[in-house]
Order: sequence, then structure tokens, then C-alpha cells
Amino acid sequence: MRPRLRRLRPYLLALGPGLLAASAGNDAGGIATYASAGASYGYGLLWAMVLVSIFVGVVQEIGARMGAVTGKGFSDLVRESFSLRMTAFVLLTLLVANAGIIFSEFIGIAAASELFGVSRYVSVPLAAVLVWLLVVRGSYSRVEKIFLVLSLAFFAYVGAAFLAHPDWHQVLVETVHPQLHLDAGYLSLLIALIGTTISPYMQLYVQSSVVEKGVTPAEYRYTLFDVVVGTVFSGIVAVFIIVATAATLHPHGLHVDTAADAARALEPIAGHYARVLFALGLLGASLLAAGVLPLATTYMMSEALGIERGVSRSWSEAPVFMGMFTGLIVLGAGVALVPGLPLIQVLIGVYVLNGLLLPIQLFAMLRLANDRQLMGAHVPGRIYNFVAWAIAVLVSLLSLALLVQTVLGWFGASKG
Amino acid sequence: MLFLTSIVDLPVEGKSGDRLGRLYDLIVRLGDEPYPTITGLVVRDRRRRFFVPAGILQSLNGTARLASSTVDLQPFSRRDGEVLLRQDVLDHQLIDITGRRIVRVNDVQLTRVDGVYRVVGVDISPQALLRRLGPRALAGRVVGRQIVDWAEVQYLASAAPVQLKVSYDRLADLHPVDLARIVDALSYRESAEIVAALDEETAAEALEEVSDARLADLLEGMDQERAADILEEMTPGAAADALEDLEDDVAEQIIARMEPEEAADVQALLSYDEDSAGRLMTTDYVRVRADATVGAALAAIRACEEVPDPLLAVYAMTPGDPDRLQGIVRLRNLIVADPATPLAEVTDGDVPTVHPEDPAEAAARLLAEYNLLAVPVLDDAGRLLGIVTVDDALAVLLPEIWHRRGPRAFAA
Repeated sequence: MRPRLRRLRPYLLALGPGLLAASAGNDAGGIATYASAGASYGYGLLWAMVLVSIFVGVVQEIGARMGAVTGKGFSDLVRESFSLRMTAFVLLTLLVANAGIIFSEFIGIAAASELFGVSRYVSVPLAAVLVWLLVVRGSYSRVEKIFLVLSLAFFAYVGAAFLAHPDWHQVLVETVHPQLHLDAGYLSLLIALIGTTISPYMQLYVQSSVVEKGVTPAEYRYTLFDVVVGTVFSGIVAVFIIVATAATLHPHGLHVDTAADAARALEPIAGHYARVLFALGLLGASLLAAGVLPLATTYMMSEALGIERGVSRSWSEAPVFMGMFTGLIVLGAGVALVPGLPLIQVLIGVYVLNGLLLPIQLFAMLRLANDRQLMGAHVPGRIYNFVAWAIAVLVSLLSLALLVQTVLGWFGASKG
Repeated sequence: MLFLTSIVDLPVEGKSGDRLGRLYDLIVRLGDEPYPTITGLVVRDRRRRFFVPAGILQSLNGTARLASSTVDLQPFSRRDGEVLLRQDVLDHQLIDITGRRIVRVNDVQLTRVDGVYRVVGVDISPQALLRRLGPRALAGRVVGRQIVDWAEVQYLASAAPVQLKVSYDRLADLHPVDLARIVDALSYRESAEIVAALDEETAAEALEEVSDARLADLLEGMDQERAADILEEMTPGAAADALEDLEDDVAEQIIARMEPEEAADVQALLSYDEDSAGRLMTTDYVRVRADATVGAALAAIRACEEVPDPLLAVYAMTPGDPDRLQGIVRLRNLIVADPATPLAEVTDGDVPTVHPEDPAEAAARLLAEYNLLAVPVLDDAGRLLGIVTVDDALAVLLPEIWHRRGPRAFAA
């Protein structure tokens, strides 16, 4: 027993980045998208969730592998391997995608605070100032765990799913039975599902933490374990959110338009406290990401551009760095304060945009992963590579389909 | 002035004007010269790449003209020791020694001296990026450069995919704190490359200032014998803190490889809690017999193999019981007094002390309250174990300083 435990130890120790990154998919935007998918289409998108989880696993794995082999982060590799114009293009899409997610986290904070009856005009500026101060003063990592614990509230969905007595037979059938509708609503939700689950920043996170820890190709199998566990874990939570909302909201023809609607799916387990539970989870998850993303995005951009960086630097020492970091927070919080914003729809919109930008990042990543100069003998195997390219092409086609749908919609040619 | 981005992709022509292809890259060897010489050109013709020795390059004016037409075009293949300017230097990171920071190369400056092309500097300005991003016709409109002299930069060997012998001597010019900041800001592999090139003393000085997580990774990644050598050079307190962040079995193996004396010091410190005065204290101080004279005390300081730095006071011990503290003699009093004065006359007997298990913060507050430069640490039996200096106390009272680097990228 003992020797076996000893052999397991490095695997357990490696758990972390992959787990955290995959769980980060279950942030404000993730919850909104999953809940919306369950409420609007019942179990109809479960198959996609399973497939998307596999996609996440593959994409995360490639990111982690690149980190372990090259010892460099994604934006570094892009700058060093692609032409400058290509670099600018890829980084710009990442900046837009991340800015969107930062904004969505503040929306999450707004929605959570309004469930408590606190106006978002109070909570969002407060959260923005708090996040800025915590990061600049270097004390963010100390409060991070509180946010993480709060975000665990979403596990209540697993219990809620069981208590809602779903038709398990139907759940199983829908999970393995893919069906594709070409109406814009379904398609955009599908893309949002992809966009929120495979958000670019998660891949960047996994890769950069592998680089930070100095994982070598020889130790890579432990990281692989972390990635797989993380993917399975977050996939399960997402599936249960869909099952819970599908069982409680869908039969009544309810759509998820507000955070309160999504919270209602928790009533089987939390009763009157459903709103409180949901709000706490949302607050924790949103603050968690809102604290990490602006800084991470700024680092990514300034490392690629070679700008003086570090939050310890004063404004005059690192004006671009501090400006970009502060700007991202102000922008994210500012847009979340626009009056009359339909919060949940906007959240999903952000992730549709993310899904649309995703192919650019995927193709850049695959090109790097297949670069023998960088990866040597560690380029992906033929079959695995095929799967990875197939995913990128599929996601691109879906995004394209949504674009076509939307454009046709503008001209009134859509039937849906 | 010649810049790399304005000459790459120029057509390459032989003497008689016959076109051979386009200039794809320039080859340098980074040796002892402060400004490395271009040794060859990589010329691309459709998908094939050729090597052309730099000696036959005649001019670089709108076209790269070669001195001969009958060039023996050998296919290009990468060789150890060769660095490609476009592929391995342009857009890569370097350390700017004078600027004490990591920079990214936005352009490479070349010059021609006596028919030989040399690398003389790198342009790190944002304008250089703009020139490359916009259409070529507009590039001339963007003005402004920020050139860092090549003799002032440190190239990182890991940027090139071949075996390189790069001298890291220039890093020794950096202050340990600046070096530590650079080690923290680079990726793990680059930082390990730098640390591997430093001598043990410099490495120890820099690593004392490096973030805990990066330090643990670096120590675990390096040869244990070397890790032990570096830790020996650190102050026992810093070494203990570093070892505590390692896996237990790795830490034990490293301690086993340290010199017995240093290992004992570190292990003694490790027996105290992380936030205790015992951990904070240093065992590096000077003891003298309380019945000695001022002159004898000064002689005792000079006799030290390694005089503690900073030296704030000497500790007067009870004659007959060399572990029992009688009082403190401040260095100032020692210097102004006549050498023949008995030490007892300048000894301060009534000094506050702390217990090794006391919280570190309590010791720090004591120092602040009584305006002390150091406070002695006594065990239950009243034996002197070490001292907590104001330097170390500052780190407890102002923890922000130690967090000032903030989380890097995603690693919060």
C-alpha cells in the first residue's frame, strides 16, 4: 500500500493549474450559459457539453505540453515564432476576448449583488476598487482562497439536479445522441457553450503555470493527469447545471433572463436560500476571475511587447503597464454599469464573441504545437493532431454558421 | 545606420546582376568580441535555403549584391554556436544590463567597419514595432529609436535552438536585487539558465531576494551538490526559509550535502516555527568576555574569520558561563572609548530580550519601541542563541516589501 501511495503522490501534488483552469470555465458566464442551455433546450445540449469537455481536454493538453517542452508562455511563443503582423492580430483578439470576460465578471458581481438587494451602482465600483487595490498591494493571493471557497457554492447544482428527479433515462439518451438545430438561438447558445468552456485565457493560464513551475517533458505525465482530472471535474459540474435547470425550469417553459431565474433551479436543494446560495457562488467566482484576469492580460500583452512591467512599478516607471491594467478594470466595471443592461443575455453575448474569436487562437496554437523547431519530438501524434485540427475546424464552422445566421437575420431572410 | 528589418527580404544578386533569391537571415557567432561579426547570410530561393559566406557580400543598398557570380550555393543547415539574427534575436528577450531590465528586441542595428558587418545594438522602442507593423512605405515616417548597445546586453542562450557557449559575465555587473528581479520575471527555464552561470556567492546573494516559489523551483531543479553550495553562502535564516519551501526529502538530501557547520546552523533555525523570533534571528554575531577591555573586544572583532555584516554591537558574556549574556556593547561606545577601558564601563546591562518561541512580530515591535538595532534571543535557561536585527524585523513589519513583486502572469 505504502509504495503505491508514494507513486501516486507526484500526481496528487501536480493537481492545481489544470483543475483551477477548467473550473474557471464555471464562472459567471459559464453558469449563465449552462443554465440558459438547460432552461431553453432541456437536455438537448447535453451531448454538446460532453463533446465540448473533450475539446477542452485536448486544447488544454496541447497548451500544457507546449509549456513543458518550450518553457515559454503562449504570447512569448507567438511573438518569437510568428511575423509581427500576425502577432499583433493574435494578441489583439486575445485582448478583446479577455476584456470581454473581465467585463462579464463585473456583470456577475452586479447580478450577485442585486440578488442581495444591493444596487450594482454601489457594488461594481466597490469591487473594481477592491480588485485594483488587492492586486497592486500584492495581497490578492491572500483573499483568493475565500473567493474560491465561495465559488464552490455551485456544487449545489449537483445536489439540485438529483433532487429535481430528472428523467435519468432521457438524460442518458440525450447525452449520447447529438442533434444539431440550425436556428440562431440554438446555434448561438452552442457557440457560447464552446466559448465559455474553452475560453482562451484558460489555455494561457495552464501553459503559463506549467512554465512558471518549470515542468519538464519528463514530469509532464503528472501535468497531464491534472489536465484530465480538471476537465472531467468541470465537465461534470456543467452537465449537472444543465440537468438541474432542464428538470426545474424547462418543463415550465421558463427562460433564464436574470440571475434570479438561474438561482431558481437551486430551489429543490436550498429552498428559500436558493438565491443566497447562488449569489454567493456567483460573487466568489466573479471576484476570483476579476482579480486574476486584468493582471494576467496586461502581463501577456506587455511581455509580448517588451514593455516595462510589474504592479510594483509606479505609474511613471511603467505607464503603459499600469495604464492597461487599470484601463481593463475601469472598462470592465464601466460597461457593467450601463443602465438597463439585460445582464444574462449580455453575458451570453460575451461568450458568443469569445467563441467567434476562439478559432484564431486555436489555429495559432496548433501551428506552434506542430513546429518541429520548437517542439522537436514532442509534436502531437498523427491521430491526436487530426482530432485537434478537426476541433479547430469544427469550432470555426460553427462560428461561421452563426455569423451567416446573424447576417441573414439582419436582412430578414432567417426563418427562425 | 543599418537595421535588420530593413534589409531582410532584400533581393540577393550576383556580380552580373543575376538574381539568387532573397536575403532571409544573417548568421553571427557570439564570441568574445563585444560586437559580433556577421559570418554568413541565409538566402532563400522559393523553399530552398542557401548559405553564403559574409565575405563576398559587397553592398546592401536596395539589393544585397555579392562580389562574385559563381557562388557555390551550399544548402543551409543550422550548426552549433551559430545564432540567426532574425530567428533567434529579433523579437526575443534580452537582458539590458545598464537598464537593469528585460527587453524585447524590436530591431537589430548593424554597422559596417572595414568591410565587415557587425551587430552593434538593439532597438527596443515601440516606434520600431510601428515601423514594422505599418506598410513599408510609411515606415520612414515613424521617427524615434531607443538603441541599447550590444556590449550592454546579455543574450540568453536558450533563445536559439542550437548549442551555444554564451558568456554570462555581464550579469555580474548587476546588483543582486536587480538580478533577482530579472530571475523572477523570466520564465523558469531562462532563470535556471542564468543562475547556472553565476558563481555560488553571486547566486546566493541574488537568490536571497528571489520570490519563494521561484527559489524553491530553482533549488529543486539544480544539482543537489550545487544547491547545497549556494545555500551555504546564504545567511542561515535565508537558507532555512528556502529549505522549508522544498519537499521534505529533497530538503534533507540537500542539508546532508552541506558543510556540517552551516548545516547545523540551518537545522537549528528550522527547529523553530516559521513566524517565530527563533527563525528570524541570526547566529552571526560577536561574543566577548564581559571582563575584557575595549581594546580586547575590538581585537576579537578583527579576529573574526568573517566579520558579521551589519555589525551593530558585541555581546558581553559572563566569565565562567560563556553562554550567559551579561550585556550589550554598542559599536559606537566601543569606538569612542579608550582601548584600556574595562568593557563593563561601556556595557549596557539592562536590555530587553526575546524568547525563540516568541512571535517574530513581537520581536520586531520591541525593536521599534525601544529604538534598538538588534535584540538578543535567550532560551529558557537564559542562554544567548542569536540576535534579531532591525533589518530582519523590517521584513516582518512591512510585509508589503516582500510582496512588492506581485503575482506574475497567472501564478498568483
